[in-house]
Amino acid sequence: MKFLARRLLYSLAILLAISFLSFLMLQWAPGDYFEAMRMNPRVSAQTVEVLRAQYGANRTFAARYVTWMGSLARGDLGVSFAYGTPVGPLLWPRARNTLLLTGSSMILSWLMAVPLGIWSAARKGALLDRFFSFATSTVLAVPDLLLFLLLLLLAVRTGWFPAGGMVSSNFDDLSFWQKAGDVAIHFALPALGLAVVALPLLLRHVRAAMIEVLNAPFIRAARGHGIPPWRLLWRYALPAASNPLISLLGLSIATMLSASLIVEVILSWPGLGPLMIQAILARDVNVVIGVVMLSSVFLLAGNLIADVLLFASDPRIRVE
Amino acid sequence: MRLSRLSGSIVAACLLFAAIAAATLAQSAGKATPNELGTPGGTLTIALRSEPKTLNPAFAADQSSQDVIYCMNADLIHINRESQRTEPDLAESWTVSRDGKIYTLHLRRGVRFSDGQPFTADDVIFSFRVYLDAKIDSPQRDLLIIGGKPISVEKIDAYTVRFILPQRYAAAERLFDGFPILPRHLLQNAYAESSFSKAWAVSASPSQFAGLGPFRLAEYVPGQRIVLERNPYYWKRDAAGKQLPYLDKLVFLFVPSEDAQVIRFLSGDTDVLDRFSSENYSVLKARESAKRFHMDDLGASLEYNFLFFNLNDLAGKNLPQIAAKQAWFADVRFRQAVSSAIDRAAIVRLVYQGRASALAAQVTPGNKLWLDPAIKPASHSVQHARDLLKAAGFSWRADGSLVDRGGGPVEFSILTSSSNAQRAKIATLIQSDLSALGMNVHVVTLDFSAMADRLLNSFDYEAAIMGLADGDADPNTEMNIWPSSGGMHIWHLNEQRAVTPWEAELDRLMNQQLVTLDYPKRRQLYDRVQQIVANQLPIICLASPDVLVAAKDRVGNFSPAILEPYVLWNVDRLYVR
Repeated sequence: MKFLARRLLYSLAILLAISFLSFLMLQWAPGDYFEAMRMNPRVSAQTVEVLRAQYGANRTFAARYVTWMGSLARGDLGVSFAYGTPVGPLLWPRARNTLLLTGSSMILSWLMAVPLGIWSAARKGALLDRFFSFATSTVLAVPDLLLFLLLLLLAVRTGWFPAGGMVSSNFDDLSFWQKAGDVAIHFALPALGLAVVALPLLLRHVRAAMIEVLNAPFIRAARGHGIPPWRLLWRYALPAASNPLISLLGLSIATMLSASLIVEVILSWPGLGPLMIQAILARDVNVVIGVVMLSSVFLLAGNLIADVLLFASDPRIRVE
Repeated sequence: MRLSRLSGSIVAACLLFAAIAAATLAQSAGKATPNELGTPGGTLTIALRSEPKTLNPAFAADQSSQDVIYCMNADLIHINRESQRTEPDLAESWTVSRDGKIYTLHLRRGVRFSDGQPFTADDVIFSFRVYLDAKIDSPQRDLLIIGGKPISVEKIDAYTVRFILPQRYAAAERLFDGFPILPRHLLQNAYAESSFSKAWAVSASPSQFAGLGPFRLAEYVPGQRIVLERNPYYWKRDAAGKQLPYLDKLVFLFVPSEDAQVIRFLSGDTDVLDRFSSENYSVLKARESAKRFHMDDLGASLEYNFLFFNLNDLAGKNLPQIAAKQAWFADVRFRQAVSSAIDRAAIVRLVYQGRASALAAQVTPGNKLWLDPAIKPASHSVQHARDLLKAAGFSWRADGSLVDRGGGPVEFSILTSSSNAQRAKIATLIQSDLSALGMNVHVVTLDFSAMADRLLNSFDYEAAIMGLADGDADPNTEMNIWPSSGGMHIWHLNEQRAVTPWEAELDRLMNQQLVTLDYPKRRQLYDRVQQIVANQLPIICLASPDVLVAAKDRVGNFSPAILEPYVLWNVDRLYVR
């Protein structure tokens, strides 16, 4: 319990630091939302100044930060300059879509990485292992952006998958099962893309952790006792190799989140990515900070879960 | 003699008949006439580059919001996007007082909002009270301030309203386009409780909205789409007396990039497409017949791209290097030399694949009412440019580099926005053109906000390329640009008074055209403005890209225009075949 409380406090401190640094960096970025508005010849400089004052954008850095902290406490995360509405309600539906995509992709990538990693470790040096090594190196060398563009090309050329979006434009007219199928087919390509991006790293770690354990004396002893290889791998070797993998779970969330921003923009997935990009370009400060904070919360929550799992699985940490 | 006259008449009749037949055939073979009788029903899907930020007409400043609002609302007097002239809309007719200051509008009777409530003069009075309210501070409010004073509105009876202008105003009729009439019965409480700014956010429930346009809000899914459904109370009917609009639903998908929009169009997700580049035009053209859609190049848009030099007052800005170069920029011969050295034809060919027009001044060939065809773009002549520079005291070193009177090398940078690939290419072509004069030019790309900061605040730039697109074809929209006090007098902001005789003349002409009601006289004044811009070159106009559009063959009455919204201006008559 004390461990959990300490970790929570630590996470809160990190969030506070992230919010401050985000504010500071956006303060330093040249131009603001209202400058761009002034480039519209139909809008007068006076109108822009009134709007700037209305949104409090002409106040000092400290005053704006304190106001934002107050809005954080209320849960609305400030007001978006572009939308003129609180940021919170803008984020929640999109965060749900991002979580659906990243969460499913993460499960998919782990479901692929664990058996393939174990298989590869059990056949170390064999043709299959070398093939996996080559394949993962290739995927690692390909930039995420290119990979997603290739997926888009696949969708456009073959017509097997939709070229973007989360649902078809006639979604409302479909039956329940047709709706489920429609979401699934739209979901397939971005989820597959994200899973492929995360897979090489996971697979390599699973393989390395398993190889290390498989060389351990207790496994050799178990093998000597005649325990069948399948049982040996899953019952004895995998739990022993799980420590680094649980730590990796937290880290893989970061990879997923950053890759999801790109895939969402390329495949028009209605998550936080497109909102974030537009907010950055328009200097819609509160939206940018809102997205950054939410992504940080996801990341820290993932790491916290990993820590708790580690705490539960490893007696050495419990003793510490 | 009689026979020959008779045969001559027969030949003439045959020729006339052949001409009419040819014209008819050409019409039937070409695009459909815009007002053909349509079939009710069906859904039309279009992509928006970004989500609408609001559905409140008093606060909409972005194009996506304006496009959706256009389909849900109506104004008193409307600009026909095809003819570019005004026509009655919610105001059936109007009269103008002899002094041109009082407009009496007679409203259409029997019109209902999309929630079934009747439309009366009270809604007009309420709408303009909102638009004029300094506390609401709608971005459109500036358009209602004429000569520093606001217009005023009076109710005469339930179907008559009077607009009193503080002074004669040439573009008064056009003013009404862009001020959608708001439903007093739904919004007066929010206005009274000072919560109007929160009303009609995109996420508000559809039951909170009512408009006088052809469609009403059915659904908004954040990050994905806005669905509009036909307004069952819409007042317009087609020639056969059938109620408009024809479409049952209009779906706006949010697709954040141009390329993604093209892909979604090709994959059949959307039915019409606009705002795409000439590169994508070529991509689409190759698949036009296979994918059963057709494309249109409508010719020059109202957007003008231009190069300009920093002539701002830099006192107190601590920018000595730029201030030193302003001696070159201020010399009209230097600007004329730059203009002459720029190969506009190459810009049109290489940047826009021929789908653009070279410009002499700010009015593009798309603006049929105000273009002065006598002004031609500067012909590309390096020799003429060299002569001008020589006359201005510049000379060349042995290595061909240009130096000024004091022997300093002529070197400057051109700022452009990274969000516009075409302008970045134009900058590179200009860099190459000016190197032929011995000028050492650098191209600097910045994101739009950072560029705006330099152009409007810090003045930390030497030259820049940008584009402006008028929302309307009328010179009225340029009042913020050409007079020396204009907020977008971009090459010299905050100019207290005109510093040169030609700037003083620009001030006088622009103010005079604003109060001249007679079109030919007003045109003479604005022609002179264009001549001054073309000769004195406060901005060096370069090119205007064409408006490019595409639509599935199944979309009937597709008749795009060069005024926004290009493909949706006649949305009430669009139908699905």
